[in-house]
Amino acid sequence: MTSALHLVAAAAAAGEVTTGEKAVFFILAPIALIGAIGMVAARNAVHSALWLVLTMLSLGVFYIVQAGPFIGMVQIIVYTGAIMMLFLFVLMLVGRDASDAVIETLRGQQAWAIVLGVGFAGLLGTGLARVVGSLKVVGLEQANADGNVQGIAALLFTKYVWVFEISSALLITAAVGAMILAHVDRSLRDGTAVMSQPERMRARFEPGSYPGPKPGPGVFATSTSIATPAKLPDGTPAQRSISPILPTRELTAAEVANKQTEGR
Amino acid sequence: MKDISLPHLNYAALAPMLILFGVACVGVLVDAFAPRKARYPIQLVVALVGLIAAFVAVVLRAGKVTAENAITAAGAVSVDKPALFLQGTLIVLGAVALLLIGERALERGGPFVAQAAITVGSDADQRQAARESGATEVFPLTIFSLSGMLLFVAANDLLTMFVALEVFSLPLYLLCALARRRRLISQEAALKYFLLGAYASAFFLFGLALLYGFAGGITFAKINESAQNGTGNITLLYAGLALVSIGLLFKAAAVPFHVWTPDVYQGAPTPVTSLMAACTKVAAFGGLLRVLYAGFDRVHWDYSPIIAAIAVLTMLVGSILAVTQTDIKRLLAYSSIANAGYLLVGVLGNSALGLSSVMFYLVAYGFTVIAAFAVITLVRDADGEATHLSRWAGLGRRSPFYATVFTVILLSFAGIPLTSGFTSKFAVFSAAGGGDQSWLVIVGVVSSMILAFPYLRVVVMMWLSEPGEQTPSVSLPGMLTSAALVIGVVITIFVGVAPQPLLHLTSEAANFIR
Amino acid sequence: MSLSPYVPIVGLFALAALFALFSVAIAPFVGPRRYNRAKLDAYECGIEPTPQPIGGGRFPVKFYLTAMLFIVFDIEIIFLYPWAVSFNQLGVFGFIEMILFIGTVFVAYAYVWRRGGLDWD
Repeated sequence: MTSALHLVAAAAAAGEVTTGEKAVFFILAPIALIGAIGMVAARNAVHSALWLVLTMLSLGVFYIVQAGPFIGMVQIIVYTGAIMMLFLFVLMLVGRDASDAVIETLRGQQAWAIVLGVGFAGLLGTGLARVVGSLKVVGLEQANADGNVQGIAALLFTKYVWVFEISSALLITAAVGAMILAHVDRSLRDGTAVMSQPERMRARFEPGSYPGPKPGPGVFATSTSIATPAKLPDGTPAQRSISPILPTRELTAAEVANKQTEGR
Repeated sequence: MKDISLPHLNYAALAPMLILFGVACVGVLVDAFAPRKARYPIQLVVALVGLIAAFVAVVLRAGKVTAENAITAAGAVSVDKPALFLQGTLIVLGAVALLLIGERALERGGPFVAQAAITVGSDADQRQAARESGATEVFPLTIFSLSGMLLFVAANDLLTMFVALEVFSLPLYLLCALARRRRLISQEAALKYFLLGAYASAFFLFGLALLYGFAGGITFAKINESAQNGTGNITLLYAGLALVSIGLLFKAAAVPFHVWTPDVYQGAPTPVTSLMAACTKVAAFGGLLRVLYAGFDRVHWDYSPIIAAIAVLTMLVGSILAVTQTDIKRLLAYSSIANAGYLLVGVLGNSALGLSSVMFYLVAYGFTVIAAFAVITLVRDADGEATHLSRWAGLGRRSPFYATVFTVILLSFAGIPLTSGFTSKFAVFSAAGGGDQSWLVIVGVVSSMILAFPYLRVVVMMWLSEPGEQTPSVSLPGMLTSAALVIGVVITIFVGVAPQPLLHLTSEAANFIR
Repeated sequence: MSLSPYVPIVGLFALAALFALFSVAIAPFVGPRRYNRAKLDAYECGIEPTPQPIGGGRFPVKFYLTAMLFIVFDIEIIFLYPWAVSFNQLGVFGFIEMILFIGTVFVAYAYVWRRGGLDWD
């Protein structure tokens, strides 16, 4: 792997582009562009996200071809894998049929945004195009001398070790933030505190609660309908035997009448 | 394979950041393991003790720092005198804002929501609003944010600066979403701040890449060297500097990158607004000063006109729009934008004088603005804070003491002599005058006269109107808010009456080490 | 050929793609066909499929939390990779730095675990 990198680096140092690199670029660049355009143009949000996957995968391959295998793999693992998954979940959270608001809160905002955006991109693009034409690429070979990942390790643990350690603060904040914004403690969600087993047991036998099984509907009645209340031994209907979601039903005379079993 | 030579870390220089970082981690662990009832007192004590320890570390380091030992962590961090001064400022301002964040006497459960994930307006939401006390995660988040700011003002290369920018921004986005009252606009504020902040970070990162292309390195020393030698492509330098500046000016709330400010200041819980108004301002201008003074000193004739134009726009837009506001928090937001303009004028002084005047201004403004928001947390009715200006009419009759305090604060904002507002404006304007930017001073003075109008209107409203039925009462502050208010007002007056000690300190500190 | 180390990987990709295509293509021809009403339903067990709710079936927010936590620890692992590759050169210093990093990210893990973020309901 390192020898291949050396060759690529050597070629880049000499200001050349290998045929393989050219071929990869001319195949994948249109695909990346199509993905980007598809992402903006797709009506369905999920399709839009999938177009973005295409672009990101192409970019990952570009990085690898340009002698940056580590960043290429990170692009594929973190962006195309984890972050796109997050995108899709958030889309499903909103509902995949949810569409953009078509009402402009600020009049002419879209037109201005397009004009300024294209203008800015044009300015930066032409400026960079002129610069890059005359730019000589140097230092790739030295940077990748021991291999790309080793080079990154050397930087990460010397010059940027402090930043590296501090970046764990970002990860903690991200995790805490996700918990704060998306997680509800169970006790608050149900409106009751989480009870211990003894507390639960005491609550079950407290006055007012009925610890035994409830009578099933229709059991002591003259009907098999679940909308007919059960009858208690003294003949009164037990309302708690009916599910609260059922509509109240007018009972027929036969259902109200006691069975011949009582009183014998 | 060559051996990797390991970097030397100067732990004394890094101690303030290390302490705050460790304290924030401890805070998260307290939230994880302590029982619910015990979390609030533990968090408050841990956070305040951590801030005090960090401040002690800064003071100890300030006595020993020299040009030789300022740079550490393999050149990534430069804990020089300006960095230490700004770090000390950040810690003290952060501690005062933390007093407001920790206040629980004004409202049952404090100013923060218990469970931000509960749908607004649902049954569970009403239950938690009635009886749950606020989330204690705000303490570690605040400390994380402050530790990021400490690194931000001490960063010696752009990559470190970028990571620090993210470390201090991310907790702020979260904190904005945690208001107990008016939760929807709080969440809207957080989302706006997050989206626009992410764009600004992207601009910063893009600029960083271009500057790497220009100089072949991202340390300020390297960029400065390349600019001095004229090696590297000048287009990349300008484009990179422009994009990096956009990222920084966004945080500083300069026009035209200010649009988030009013909405976020209004929507965020007031203690968090005070943290943003004081500490984010310090961090943003600390970073901007270091980038412009340490990295781009050589091209200062090229960027000066653009920064000057932004300063003029910022001062005028901020002060003119402040006149039209009807909400006290939005009024202070536009005032904060205008103040960013005055600070930019100081930045253009481009000398040790410019640096020291901006640092002076940051201290003076920070304490006054925290005191202002502390008063806003006190003026409340059954629905929480009464921020509409019409509600403040007649407040002077109802509670003369707090109306007097707020009047002092507003007069300081307006730049009346014998307050910190006057001395600090005088400092930045004289620095700019010394830097041949006299026309900016004229615009600045005009803008402060415009800006004085809305402040004085509030003062007139408070004192000369009859209190109506709508006039809310002023709640009796708890110990924490009282302490914050006293610190803020005392420093506002002290710096106004006797600015010499602070001036001495800032001019001592005004020398960046690349 | 400069990209020669990638040839086996490309070969593996091709093999995987071929296998997937082959499986999908061959299934209609060799699979058994026993159609009935339940088989033609969208689900073969559980409740009757009803029309999709308005909004096209929304996911609970728990999925977001899981994905976010996955990203956090995914990034942690990305940092582990260069350290593991250069382990010999980095020595004790690198080891300590990595332990510190993992330890601090573990704080996030402890928080999420204790607060019930890992419970599904």
